[in-house]
Amino acid sequence: MTKTLLEIEGFKMHFHTDKGVVKAVDGIDITVGEGEIVGLVGESGCGKSVTSLSVMGLVPTPPGKVEAGRIQLAGRNLTQLNAKDWRQVRGNDIAMIFQEPMTSLNPVFTIGSQMIEAIRQHRKVGKTEARERAEEALREVGISRKGILNEYPHQLSGGMRQRVMIAMAMVCEPKLLIADEPTTALDVTIQAQILDLMRRLNREKGTSILLITHDLGVVAEMCSRVVVMYAGQVVEETDVHTLFRDPKHPYTMGLLRSIPQLDKRSERLYSIPGNVPNPRKMPTGCRFAPRCEHVHEICLQSNPPLFEIAKEQHTSRCWLHDGEEKEETDRDRTREIVGS
Amino acid sequence: MLIPVLIGMSIITFSIVHAIPGDPAKAILGDKATPEAVAQLKESMGLNKPMIVQYLDYVKGIMTGDLGTSFITKTPVAEEVGPYLAATMELSLAAMLIAIFFGMNLGILAAWKHNTKLDYTAMVIAIIGVSVPVFWLGLMEQWVFAQDLGWLPSNGRIDPRMAFESITNFYFLDALIQGDLEAFGNALQHIILPAIALGTIPMAYIARMTRSSMLEVMSSDYVRTARAKGVSEFLIIYKHTLRNAFIPILTVFGLQMGLLLGGAILTETIFSWPGIGRYVYEAINNRDYPVIQSGILLIAFIFVIINLIVDLLYAWVDPRIQYGKE
Ligand SMILES: Nc1ncnc2c1ncn2[C@@H]1O[C@H](COP(=O)(O)OP(=O)(O)O)[C@@H](O)[C@H]1O
Ligand SMILES: [Mg+2]
Repeated sequence: MTKTLLEIEGFKMHFHTDKGVVKAVDGIDITVGEGEIVGLVGESGCGKSVTSLSVMGLVPTPPGKVEAGRIQLAGRNLTQLNAKDWRQVRGNDIAMIFQEPMTSLNPVFTIGSQMIEAIRQHRKVGKTEARERAEEALREVGISRKGILNEYPHQLSGGMRQRVMIAMAMVCEPKLLIADEPTTALDVTIQAQILDLMRRLNREKGTSILLITHDLGVVAEMCSRVVVMYAGQVVEETDVHTLFRDPKHPYTMGLLRSIPQLDKRSERLYSIPGNVPNPRKMPTGCRFAPRCEHVHEICLQSNPPLFEIAKEQHTSRCWLHDGEEKEETDRDRTREIVGS
Repeated sequence: MLIPVLIGMSIITFSIVHAIPGDPAKAILGDKATPEAVAQLKESMGLNKPMIVQYLDYVKGIMTGDLGTSFITKTPVAEEVGPYLAATMELSLAAMLIAIFFGMNLGILAAWKHNTKLDYTAMVIAIIGVSVPVFWLGLMEQWVFAQDLGWLPSNGRIDPRMAFESITNFYFLDALIQGDLEAFGNALQHIILPAIALGTIPMAYIARMTRSSMLEVMSSDYVRTARAKGVSEFLIIYKHTLRNAFIPILTVFGLQMGLLLGGAILTETIFSWPGIGRYVYEAINNRDYPVIQSGILLIAFIFVIINLIVDLLYAWVDPRIQYGKE
């Protein structure tokens, strides 16, 4: 088993707005090992972006507030960092790329100046050396065009911009890369290239990746482990093979059924009935109960905890799997936490 | 672009000026003048010719640098307008600097401390600022700071008792060239009140635009990217955000500059500032057509030049805009 790099424990991020409290992230546990690619999936609005921004310390507070839990990177508690320490972590230990490559680069600065800024933020190097490093980083992501450093973002295509974003994220060789739907805005061929690139960087540099997506196809291709989120909570976590072969949570099953399949083209595409719950008024019982095919009496009364299923490392938040409740302490002992 | 605007302006100023009721010859000669004398004067001023001929004469004059000759002083406008023009430019520049400096910083502060007391205070100042009439503010300033407190002078560009010789007509420049710090300080004291009166409205507009534009840019994806790189809050605001927020601010800037030139006429009258505004104002009282026409045309010309500069600034701020290139 690999060493743990990122460890999110019982983490809650709530937004205190005029219209009430939005429990965007409501008690999640996610771990990412060194060199691992972990997928985080779930419908739009389930809290994936808030989770990733929390790891970067980029959730605006207020309205956001950490209600409970902690986020540890290599044994260091990030939730207690001050602004100055956060700046040293961002871009250096953890880097992030975003969904919208078209708007993620600053339109009034050249690619070169934005990349050099990222380097010089964390490394004491001169302008010339920073330039060389920037060129090198761009070559790594497959851009070797001369003069690229002097170009402006609007002169590049979406795919190229996402490559630049990845190059910029990788310049300081972060331990963890968070990719929040990095290919959602790109067309299919470009999407495959970007995924390839991320896989290669993971293999060659050993960078861990937390890959956020709502596309299970991407998960199947990229990840070793998957965390499924629903309404601000983790509902299922397992390795990628088990997820596709033997999903346990009714929500995960629904997600899998809604993947379009080439051999069953005639069939109407399945979609989970109903809507995600209003984040200001979560159901008292299981948050998925109003949409669930297997709903029981108990589901409406109390929210199930995460149950450990059969073998280790597979959990499901569903009363159907009420065998033996997941024992936090046992599971913790099997982990080797870096730095402790 | 420049030429058609100026042609249009020349037609408009010519028409407006001739629409002013009253007869310049009568105004010059007074009520007791004989009709013969009036007719004779009219002929010598070219006022008896058809309108279209008068206009063409006027345009021909402009082309050759002849802005006409004042009916009153009998001096060519081109010769006597220099000091007035310089005075107005000095005042407008001072007002604009005040407007830009305080407006932008107020807006930045409000955006940065969004939804705090500081933000609200800044915006209340801005709302008051846009709604205060120039003449009222000018008179209030004179009353409080000149009359009551006696801190600052309320009239003119410089103390006339000062032995100050102007070369370029720009007093600050002159004072610096001659190393005359006393004159510089005195000119500075004189410009403060009129510059504040003139700069307050544009300051308030710039503050509001800066705030809203900063807020929009601050929530943009690329600012989030900069934060994700670990960039400091200071650089986030003054580098990544401001540079982008500046694009809409520039638009307001160009528009306000036009209004500011309009406000200059009022301010100059209140503060006895010997600028082009007062020059034209007096000419209007005297029905001095050549001076009115050329004065307004010069103001329009300055306005066009400022907008040209604003357009060039756009291209400098935003690399996506390129003139003359495809
Ligand atoms: N700044 C904010 N203020 C209030 N609510 C927010 C804020 N950011 C996100 N949310 C809410 O948090 C929930 C989760 O959002 P998000 O993490 O973006 O979902 P997704 O899984 O699609 O990435 C949503 O209901 C969203 O409205
Ligand atoms: Mg999202």
